[in-house]
Amino acid sequence: MHHSLNEIEALAKRAARGAGLSWGMAEEAGRATRWLASHDLAGPALLSDVLAKNDRLPHEQVAPVSLDGEWHALAGELCPLAAGTALNDCADRLANGQSVNMASVSFPLLVLPFAAWAAIHLNEPVQVRWQNLWICTDGNRVWINDPDREINTRHAAALTCQIASKRTDAGTAPRSRGVVTSEVWAKLDVFAQRTFAPATAASRLLGAGAGVSDND
Amino acid sequence: MQLQTNTSQTIAKRDPELVMRLSRLGSFHQSRLSFMRILTRRMTRENWTFSRPIFEFDAKGVGHAVYCAHTPDRTYSLIAFGHDLPPDERSDRVIATRWDSTFTLFDGVPDAADIERLRQNIPLQEAGRVSEKELSVSRANRSVRLWDHVVSRLAAGAQPDQAEVAKVGYLMRTTAVYGSGKLGAADREMIADRPECAAPFQIEMLSVFLTRTYVRDLVQHMAYRKGEAAAVKLDADIARSMGIGNSTGLGMAPFLVNHPKLFNNWISAREEAIAIVRSVNSATKAEVATFRELLDRSILSADIWHSEHEVQVEKLKRLRSDLSALAAHVANADLCGPRPWDKLYAWAESRLGEDAQECLASLMLEPYGGLVDHLADQMSDKDRHAFRIDGTMPVAELRAVLERAYGWALDIDWSAKDQCARAWYVSQEKLEPRLGERFDEPIAPYEQPLAPGRDAAALYAALKDEDGDRSLAAFLLAYPEHRHSVRRAQIVDRAPYAEIRDNTIGSDLMPIDMLRCKLSFFGATHFDPRSDRWVRICMFGNAPYPEELQGSRGDDWSYPPLVKGAKCTTH
Repeated sequence: MHHSLNEIEALAKRAARGAGLSWGMAEEAGRATRWLASHDLAGPALLSDVLAKNDRLPHEQVAPVSLDGEWHALAGELCPLAAGTALNDCADRLANGQSVNMASVSFPLLVLPFAAWAAIHLNEPVQVRWQNLWICTDGNRVWINDPDREINTRHAAALTCQIASKRTDAGTAPRSRGVVTSEVWAKLDVFAQRTFAPATAASRLLGAGAGVSDND
Repeated sequence: MQLQTNTSQTIAKRDPELVMRLSRLGSFHQSRLSFMRILTRRMTRENWTFSRPIFEFDAKGVGHAVYCAHTPDRTYSLIAFGHDLPPDERSDRVIATRWDSTFTLFDGVPDAADIERLRQNIPLQEAGRVSEKELSVSRANRSVRLWDHVVSRLAAGAQPDQAEVAKVGYLMRTTAVYGSGKLGAADREMIADRPECAAPFQIEMLSVFLTRTYVRDLVQHMAYRKGEAAAVKLDADIARSMGIGNSTGLGMAPFLVNHPKLFNNWISAREEAIAIVRSVNSATKAEVATFRELLDRSILSADIWHSEHEVQVEKLKRLRSDLSALAAHVANADLCGPRPWDKLYAWAESRLGEDAQECLASLMLEPYGGLVDHLADQMSDKDRHAFRIDGTMPVAELRAVLERAYGWALDIDWSAKDQCARAWYVSQEKLEPRLGERFDEPIAPYEQPLAPGRDAAALYAALKDEDGDRSLAAFLLAYPEHRHSVRRAQIVDRAPYAEIRDNTIGSDLMPIDMLRCKLSFFGATHFDPRSDRWVRICMFGNAPYPEELQGSRGDDWSYPPLVKGAKCTTH
């Protein structure tokens, strides 16, 4: 089903919050999902997968232990939202050609939007690489080295981000709408529903402050 | 440019510490930079034309109409559906499910298939779906009292009683106008590059402007159907005095907090305009005459502004007496001397309350369209990367930012019950934002991040024991719960009017202050709070109708004409 990008972002943010992310992280998750959806990439589906995998886990368990050396989680896999956010936060590290290397990342495609924002910040294309897949972005357009390869991987043993050379070929540009299957939408909505307070008669009357009649 | 010869801009914009307090934001008045006026100026300047290709209704007002606005480059169409609504279903709460009329603003001219598709969806509002061809979705209910009065008078061959008209001010009021991607409509980003969409909320304002015309036409149609040969045409002056009402609840308040950069740009544009005019070296007689006339009309506007809300009644009393004092002062003041507006403003600052100060600040801009109107183009938020956190910033620098921008919040004891008595949450029903009592209702787990002051103070406390050289990227790895506050602080550091510098969860919070601030930027007048969190206003009262735009004089329609009778008051 077609959705506006604002709808996708709003649902993604609520879902992320519902799965226990902090508000600031949920905002990042919403933006990242929107960015992927605008490129017709499986952002909403991958978000629902990573939220299900890490449901209500504390940040420290899935975020990089340290920003020094190769990034890795305390135990198990890195959350791509936590790792991606940290990547964009310290994007300047990429400026002199250094790479950021991550070990064991879940749903690695979710790192791409953060690399895209790093690219905009640096005004240089940034490449995200895992296994034999290379995805390059200048923040707006996306280039995938092998379009036939599966990119919605559940796990990457090692992932590298670094500045790439400028591209002259077209790349794919973002669209103004996104497609989300009703199944994925429903999965995200289950998480999002956790953020809504159940309505009570009292809150209905007091919370919004209005009366009920409009007959004057 | 007058700007170069008549001003030497040395007067700074007002301090955010002064401007961004809730009591002042809740005292804002419409100005030349209000979104309705930006729209009507553009429509007039660009000679927009209007047409009504479809208008098909029965005697009960059931049917549909299409109103087209033709800009130099494209056409926008309001598609209006009229319904027969039983009185017991007429509610202006956002949780209502049926309305007297429902609308969508269509990008282009709809064909029969579009209209059929929209007929299946628009009457359902939130329960329907629209596409990227639709730019907004809205609904309105009749003011039953005035509607029946106007229809029966016209049907009987008489004009409506002007006192009755003035008492209400509108025939219909909208209860929600959804734009920017809601319900599947086009995102703002899809149209943001169009010149007519450069200023904020222009699509929503156009929708309301066309809705007002539809309402006038529908009431006329029903009068003709009822009275047949005996019915008469509604007097043009009476029609013009009527605007579109709007009932606004809490939904608008979080908007200001959730769009800090956009909010900054609204306030900053108006503050820039005030600083420019205060810096004007001398005023011409014509400029002074314009100011004096609009001051008189502002006094009239305050006189016919009614409210029964106790806080508003008190505010109105003070506004009226302050405006009389201002008028007396202006009668004797030398406005032809040096820096006349700065002097006048300084006088007002020392003698008048905030409501009158803000009224004056808006009024001073009126003679200077040539100096300030261009600021309208700076009021949108085009900076899509303000979202990014600069993780290289050291902890010590963020501490300094917090001390500068949130000093007011760092001294508050946020654990005291009265300082955090309220919590903002979203209800399951229609995702409606609500405000509850933290200590009386089980809402805290659902709290929305709408208390930036409290959260900034918590961030400041967390930073206290950190190494000042540590990067924010490393800090945020350990403290993800402060991420939203770090983002806001970095935004406020660049955009000083981005943050309300007041407690948004205290026991004495008046959410209507936030509503009034936003609605004043829309261009609303005559705020009539129905409680501390719900307000009725009038939009486009006294504005020209589409066919009157070219003949209209200036864009001072927001001020009621001095001629007795043609008034718009909300009640």
